[in-house]
Amino acid sequence: MKEKIIQHFNEIFRDAPKTRKALDLKQEMMQNAMDKYDDMVAEGYLEEDAYHNVINSIGDVTDLFSETEEKNLLTLPEEDRKKRAMLNAVAVGLYIFAATVFFFFGSMGNNYWGYNFASFGFVIALLICIAPTVMLVYAANMYPDYSKKEKSDMVDAYKATKYSKNKELAVKKSIYSVIWSLTLVLYFIISFLTFEWRYTWILFLIAACLQAIVKLIFDLKNVEKDDVL
Amino acid sequence: MSITSDILRGHTEAIILSHLLEHDSYGYQINKDIMKKTNNAYELKEATLYSAFRRLEQAGCIRTYWGDETVGARRRYYSITEKGRKAYADYKREWQEAREIIDQLLN
Repeated sequence: MKEKIIQHFNEIFRDAPKTRKALDLKQEMMQNAMDKYDDMVAEGYLEEDAYHNVINSIGDVTDLFSETEEKNLLTLPEEDRKKRAMLNAVAVGLYIFAATVFFFFGSMGNNYWGYNFASFGFVIALLICIAPTVMLVYAANMYPDYSKKEKSDMVDAYKATKYSKNKELAVKKSIYSVIWSLTLVLYFIISFLTFEWRYTWILFLIAACLQAIVKLIFDLKNVEKDDVL
Repeated sequence: MSITSDILRGHTEAIILSHLLEHDSYGYQINKDIMKKTNNAYELKEATLYSAFRRLEQAGCIRTYWGDETVGARRRYYSITEKGRKAYADYKREWQEAREIIDQLLN
């Protein structure tokens, strides 16, 4: 009959989140159910009746699962939300500034003192665009620092790794966007200065190489970390 | 009958704290005490009991530790914290006020 109780718990905890907390809860409830069963049998109840009584007294456990689930990592705490809103606002402002610069130089017309102001303005505007792009990419990949209030256990270790992975991803994406923005700007600067459009596109190949190298560095770092663990 | 079980359920946390004031305990023992004190009329559903444990733990009112039973499986014990004592005192005062008001209104 005790086997049946264990089976019943396996059944009701089948959909529970696979966390340490859920496992502890199952262990705890199962032990208490066993105690109750033993007591009832000792009092003279039939094994069958004791079993049904124990099972009936469990109630609906699905509510309990939601509490054992991990906090959603995507919800940002208040402080981070503010920071993120700030980043977004400044980024939009910088974009508008970049567009203004572009139109300003454009309105000066071509060949004032022998310079091409329109293309000069375009390059400046692109340069200005680097900062807000980096900010937006970072804001989009921002995750809250995992709070270390709780005692460290397996779940926390898992969350912490997840967090560091997220942070790493944000840094990686920021680096990528810097590489590509810089490449684009350099492409136009060098092209307009040298008018060697036949060769300057090679810059994009170099950028692709750079991105691959950055990825490699991050991967290597991760392998080292895994070795330590 | 149903009013009693509703009220009992609504006060699960206070009932747990009151039991832990006397001594550290575990889920089944607390439920057993409730049955004994109510002449086997009431017991809490396990799901109710354990969600109350989790809430109290999160609020810092109770602490939990695994017992070191030498025979059989380990039990999970709970003990009340200083914050829990204070919460219990507040709760009890509020309950007394509520009871007086309801008594007055139902006269």
